[in-house]
Amino acid sequence: MALKTQPDLADIHVVGIPRGLLYHRYGPLWETFFRELGREVIVSAETDRAVVEEGTARSVDECCLASKAYLGHVASLVGRCDAVFVPCYASCDPRAGFCTKFQAAPDLVANTFRDQGVRVLSCLVENVSKPKEVRRAFAEMAARLGASQVLFKRAWKAGVRALEDARRAKAAAQEETLRLLAEYRAVAEGDPTGATERPLAILLVAHPYIAHDEYLCGTIVEALESMGTTVLFADETNRARTYKASFGFTETLPWVINRELIGSILTLQDQVDGIVLVSAFPCGPDSMTDDTIMRYIQGTPILNLMIDAQSGTAGVETRIESFVDILRYHQRGGYVHG
Amino acid sequence: MADILHLPEEARSRVAVEERRREPKLGHRKFKRDRHKRIKVAFFRYCYYDPAFKFFVEQVLDADFLTLPEATKRTTEIGEQNSTDYVCTPFKHILGDYVEALEAGADVLVQFGGPCRLGYYGELQEAILRDMGYEFQMLNFSRGIEQGALGWAKQCLKTVNPDINIPAALPKLAATANMAVKLDEARDFYLANAGFERERGAFRRVWASYRDALRAATADRDINEAFREAMDAMRAIPLDKPADPIRIGVVGEMFTAIDERSNLELDEKLMAMGVEVHRMMNLTNRFIRYNEPNLRRSAADYLTYDMGPTSTLTVVAAHRYAQEGFDGVIHAKSAGCTPEIDCMPVLQRISADAAMPILYLTYDSQTSDTGLDTRLEAFYDMLSMKKEKTK
Repeated sequence: MALKTQPDLADIHVVGIPRGLLYHRYGPLWETFFRELGREVIVSAETDRAVVEEGTARSVDECCLASKAYLGHVASLVGRCDAVFVPCYASCDPRAGFCTKFQAAPDLVANTFRDQGVRVLSCLVENVSKPKEVRRAFAEMAARLGASQVLFKRAWKAGVRALEDARRAKAAAQEETLRLLAEYRAVAEGDPTGATERPLAILLVAHPYIAHDEYLCGTIVEALESMGTTVLFADETNRARTYKASFGFTETLPWVINRELIGSILTLQDQVDGIVLVSAFPCGPDSMTDDTIMRYIQGTPILNLMIDAQSGTAGVETRIESFVDILRYHQRGGYVHG
Repeated sequence: MADILHLPEEARSRVAVEERRREPKLGHRKFKRDRHKRIKVAFFRYCYYDPAFKFFVEQVLDADFLTLPEATKRTTEIGEQNSTDYVCTPFKHILGDYVEALEAGADVLVQFGGPCRLGYYGELQEAILRDMGYEFQMLNFSRGIEQGALGWAKQCLKTVNPDINIPAALPKLAATANMAVKLDEARDFYLANAGFERERGAFRRVWASYRDALRAATADRDINEAFREAMDAMRAIPLDKPADPIRIGVVGEMFTAIDERSNLELDEKLMAMGVEVHRMMNLTNRFIRYNEPNLRRSAADYLTYDMGPTSTLTVVAAHRYAQEGFDGVIHAKSAGCTPEIDCMPVLQRISADAAMPILYLTYDSQTSDTGLDTRLEAFYDMLSMKKEKTK
């Protein structure tokens, strides 16, 4: 930039962050970053029925469930903050892009809430695989917020560290669970009486904004756990590794999150007993990748679940119960020798 | 129209239990090339651009072009049966085209790439067709995209013809682009005037013979000559055009807004009612002369960022039609097209600000012709009543 950026956003003191979509991927970075810049941060409350209903009322019918919930979160922040943070994550890397929803989000929010006078605070991240470009996007936003270079550098460093720490902790926890599972399995197999039941591990494959949203996916996780299975989240596996592994599966898949999820399946397939794919209806990327996964990932039973606003919890429990029954039967060698 | 809100019960869950594993990747198939056999290349059916595709295959790739007959109901059915339920509609149409092309003897299928789901069309379609038992090569422009034009050239050499004479092919590539531009230019004139011809079908005849002439073209000169002749012929057609006709702008996504099979001949239906039709979306404006940041400036009140592959063109076109005092705009998209769905709140603002009605059409493979007729007639009646009032 040739001209010095004007601090035209300096009057924003309270930043609202909707708890939806990419918040579940980059949340620690965003929160820490704004706090370090001396802003007050309000994250909207957990998703509930009212949030989804409000979002649905404000959305075009055909939007996916996650996007409707997101608009509900924005609505819940109206009047509680000076500006809502809605970043624009574009897809300049053809192998590490996002659903176009994340690119459209700032203008979508601005136009939907124009009558409420909602101010949108945003930055343009064109390519997430280039850390320098991501940094530049946030630097520009910080300058517009009136932050000095020094302050920005500190905030950025703290934000990146918070994100990395959070990710590392989750990946480490998953590895620990896998280690315990292996130990447990060895014990069960070594038990001559056969009285020790072998553990069942399930890999839950879903976009982070579905998998870690209590309202949208909580019942599924609860149902799986209440059946005595151990649930592993595909998005918590080490990202650098899963992203790389995905190229052994697909050459042209354009979405980074789907790549990481597929990479996680490939990495963990031998250590889990079943895979549960959860998609929010009608998710664009999943409409195609679920099909490819069902075609090419074989040898492990897969349950493909679709959630929409109407379905709620009804039916989900029965489907999961029958799936876990299949897995137990499978574990006893039912389909191989039966 | 499209009943996408109600999720079919069977789509809600699916279980797969498969004992054997398979190689988790769509491998590159080596194919035995017979040096003396010419390779037959097929595109999917796309709008009115088949002469340009033919020119590209014959002149640039130096291979044979396989012309597909008109699509039928069967095409759509095959595509629909073999796709997942909620993938976007063009995917289904194209899959049906590919099956028909392979049945007709195609060796190579061509697919493009793009920043939305289109970027993954090729790979998934290849996987589906292979699982259906077909053997073929796919020239998929999603591959090699990291290296840009060089990567694409490598793909052409690898999958179609290793003997392409590159220095001779480059001017032919420029001529292919010229053909697309000339097709779009003639189409613009056609859309604006064919609704007012005195003798029914006069424009259609010229348009058909123009495309025939382009199919026979082998050089830039032929293209320019065919264009001149067609434009002269169209200008000579007597018109009954009122001073202030109803003008409608068609906006929307690449495929559905233009492709007549997908939008159930939207253009012809509008022109039959006596409407002057405008459409900014075409290959010329989206690719050959596309400058997204500058285009976006003209609608800066509504857009801060590029919202998606065709979003800027959709919003800017609607905004421009509003400024130019058009009577209405039709937004045509396929069911589930995320970028265009996200444009709709923006279009709604433009419509409200300019008091210009917008008709939103969502097409899936089940959309009925009569249903569309009713909606278009109602829209037309509303626009003409509004026009009468403001006179």
